[in-house]
Parts: sequence; structure tokens; C-alpha cells
Amino acid sequence: MTRAHVLAVAQREFATVFRTRLLVVLSVGFVGLIAGVAWLGASPAYLALSFDLLTPLEALVPVLAFAFGYRALLGDRERGELARLRTYPLDHRLYVLGVYLGRAVGLLGVVLVGLSTAALVVPLTGTESLTAVAIYGTVDSPALFLRFLILTAVFALVALALALLVSAAVRSTWNGLALATGAVLALVVGLDGALVGTVTATLPAPDVTATLLALSPTSAYRSLAFALVFAPGGVTVSGGSTAVIGALALGSWFVGSLALTGVLVRR
Amino acid sequence: MMSEHSTIDPTDASTERPERPTAVTVEGLDYAHGDVSVFADLSVGVDAGTVTSVVGPNGSGKSTLLALVAGVLEPDAGTVTVAGDGDRTVGYLAQRPEFRPQFTVRRTVGFYCSLVAGGQDVDALLDRVGLTPVADRRVGALSGGMVRLLGIAQAAVGDPAVLVLDEPTSGLDPEMTRRVAGVVTDLAESGAAVLVATHDLHLVDRFVDRVLVLDRGTLRSTGSPADLRDATGADTLDGAIAALTRAGGSDGVAVSAGLDGGVSR
Repeated sequence: MTRAHVLAVAQREFATVFRTRLLVVLSVGFVGLIAGVAWLGASPAYLALSFDLLTPLEALVPVLAFAFGYRALLGDRERGELARLRTYPLDHRLYVLGVYLGRAVGLLGVVLVGLSTAALVVPLTGTESLTAVAIYGTVDSPALFLRFLILTAVFALVALALALLVSAAVRSTWNGLALATGAVLALVVGLDGALVGTVTATLPAPDVTATLLALSPTSAYRSLAFALVFAPGGVTVSGGSTAVIGALALGSWFVGSLALTGVLVRR
Repeated sequence: MMSEHSTIDPTDASTERPERPTAVTVEGLDYAHGDVSVFADLSVGVDAGTVTSVVGPNGSGKSTLLALVAGVLEPDAGTVTVAGDGDRTVGYLAQRPEFRPQFTVRRTVGFYCSLVAGGQDVDALLDRVGLTPVADRRVGALSGGMVRLLGIAQAAVGDPAVLVLDEPTSGLDPEMTRRVAGVVTDLAESGAAVLVATHDLHLVDRFVDRVLVLDRGTLRSTGSPADLRDATGADTLDGAIAALTRAGGSDGVAVSAGLDGGVSR
């Protein structure tokens, strides 16, 4: 029954996402913005396209993920759904998992459609096909864009886990909106700014710098993009593997957020 | 002073209740909202196959007692034991039930049915509460009464041994009230113990088998509506309840003579 329960909850969440007008509008807006950036830039290569999209995605993905997730459990609490579900043979952690999976499928679909639409710019713009981009010291390939897409999907999944945590922590719509806005700002600029501030103030060793800069989810995403897409041969920060640190940071944010959500939803 | 501080075993076989299995046993229940004590050492039982109503003034602890029986709240001390061996033993309808407005009635009930073993027949359940004509209507387009019926359908999912319904007729017109009462009675006749909190004493008088009179967290009395009237000498159930709670005096009158279960605490 465990798998059936999770599936039932996930299916309902997925259906809820695409029956919520605001989320549909935001999803269409996300796809339009990403495609617009790509087409306006008319990037001649997948690497250049990925580079053009990196900064917009660092801002837009958390916004979209929080829109998908910040009301998920809060709405259930307000409707009395969480109380009602205590009378069913459904573990609250499985409920959180089902909610997460249902919303994640919807979010990943939007990210996938957005980036796939953007990717069409390379073969369709008619620019001379490039097989090598000297500035990045690597060969351009759709496979690198696929890596970029996967990294962006992982970043979206982590941001959604954080959004669900906010959703479980708050007790009212206004608190949820305020905390979600604060969390998005922290994700997009706050944590990065704090880390950069720390680094510039203390001037730690390069390996410590690499570690610190990978602590925020956005920095970790950026570090992984540089390490695995733009310079797959390795980044030049000495003394530490940024890719490993970035992956560990994202994994920690993901697991920690979902675990804490499971605890909070029971309260 | 009457026996208001005596503790009666709700499962006591010497009571005058007809022999029915006890579906809910509450023993030594303590519960507080922060620093405010709601219940202290409350004990009571609810029989299977009956409609039992919790009545009392606002703030007497009716909704809290129901939430504790349903398992929605955890007691600070004491136990709530619910009979039943299904994978869902208690169904719960909150005071103001809300459901996702985007989904149809059928899909909403279908979701809850998917959470219990055996795959309950959604259409049969909707038919049981009279929602078949609106099965394909969005929840957001339902009237308040229909949302309550939807809540009762949800509570009945999995055929739980105990149904806990918090003010299921609040704000409903007389026809919808009768309809809800009919559904509740039908559920009790099928063997469930139905515990209902309500302020509608006319409804209690007509449809309820047993009344628990609650006042400031204290169980003042239990018995059938007729028993309560007889014991207090009141002409109406309103008068009987008023006599038993603070509305009828500084401390009310605790009555146990001739009543099943007597007075707890």
C-alpha cells in the first residue's frame, strides 16, 4: 500500500498544479521568458546558450519552484486536510513525499519544456554551426546542454524542497507569502551575497573559498554548471573539487529540507 | 452535593444502557491548550451502533474532545481506545470542512478511498450520502450543505467503527439538516458509533440515542434525551441542558439518577 499511497497523493498534487490558474500562467511565463532570452541572444552554440541562460535561471527557477511549493502543505493545513489525513493509514512522511513528487513532476515538466524550447534556437537560427568554442576550451555539443538541463532540474528540485519546508513551517497565507519571498531573495541574492562578503572580508585560502561559495544552493548550481558544462576539464580553483562540494551542498539542502518538512508537518 | 466528582467506568456492565459493545473508551483524559486546561481526568464511553451527541455551551470542550477521539489531537495524559480492526478505525468531519475546490466530488472521494485497503466503491459511497446527482460537480461549486455531506462521505471511507462529526448541521437549512441527520442515523444503524457535536438540540431530541453534557471540560451528565428531561424535570431538552450547565446556575446541576454512565469526574 505504501507505493500506492504515495502515487495517489502525487497524482492529486500533479492534477492540482495544472488546475491552478496562477501556476499555469507562471509556467507559461517561465517558458516564454527562457525562450525569449535564448531567441533574443540568438546563441550560435549550446555552450553559449547555456551561459546566456545561467543567470536568468538562477533567479527564475527559485521563483517558479516556490510558486509551485509554498502553498502545498500550508493549503492542506488551512483546509484541515492534514488533520483529516491523520485518520487514514497514511504515514505523514509518505504524504510529504507524495506531495513533493507530484509537484516535482509538474515543475520538472515546465523546466524541461522551457529549456527544450530555448535549445531550438541553436539549430533554427541558421547561424554557422560551431564545433568548437575556443574560449571555453571544449567542444560544443547538445550533450553539454543536456548536462546543463539536468543540473537545472536538480537545482529546481532543491528549490522545491525548500519551498515545501516553508510551506510546512508557516501557519497562514500571509506568513507563507512573506517567508517564501524572503527565501527566494535569500536563495537568489542573499546567501550568495553573504558568502561573497565573508570571503572578501576574511580572504580565506582558495580551497576554503571554493567550499564557502558552494554552500548556497544557487552558488552550488553555478559551481556545478561551470565544473560540468562550461569547463568539464576542471575549474581552476586549487585545492578543492568544486563539483563534489556543490553536489554535496545541493544534496544536503535537498535531504535536510525534506526531512525537516516531514517533522514540521506532523506538528 | 450529587455525584459530580465520582468516577464512573464507562464500560460498567451495571449501567442501564442496552447491551452494545463499547466502541470508544476515554479514560483519565488530560488536555490543555497551552496553559489553559480543557480536560482533567475525563472518562467516558461511546457505544457501537448509536448516535451519541456532545452538547454544551461554547468553550465547553466539545470540538477538543472530538479531535482527541479522532486522533487529530494527542492527549497530555490518559488514553483514548477505539475498537475496530480495519485499517481506518475513526472517520472525522471537522467543524468547517474544506476540500480542494478544483476537483469533482467523485474525484475527491476517490482520493480518500484510494488511501484505504480494499478499494471502496466510490459511487456506492456517494449514493449512501445522496451526492450521486452532483458527483461530477466541482467541489468549489457545491453548497455548504453538500460540502458537509461530502465531508461525511469522506468520514465514512473505509467503514470505520467510529465516526466523529463536529457540528455536521451547523448553518444548514431544515431540509438539508434532516438529510444529514438521516445519513448519520443510517451510519449508526449500520453498526458505527457516531459521535456528534452540535448546538441543535431539536435535532438531538429527534435523532440522538445518547447525550453527553459537557461544561467547562467536565462531563455533567449522560443519558438519552428523555432521561435528561426526566432527571431534571425540564419540559424540553433545552431546559434540561440549561439546568445541567452553567447557563442554568452557577455550577449547573449534575445528574446521575437513572442515567447510563452517570457523571464522570
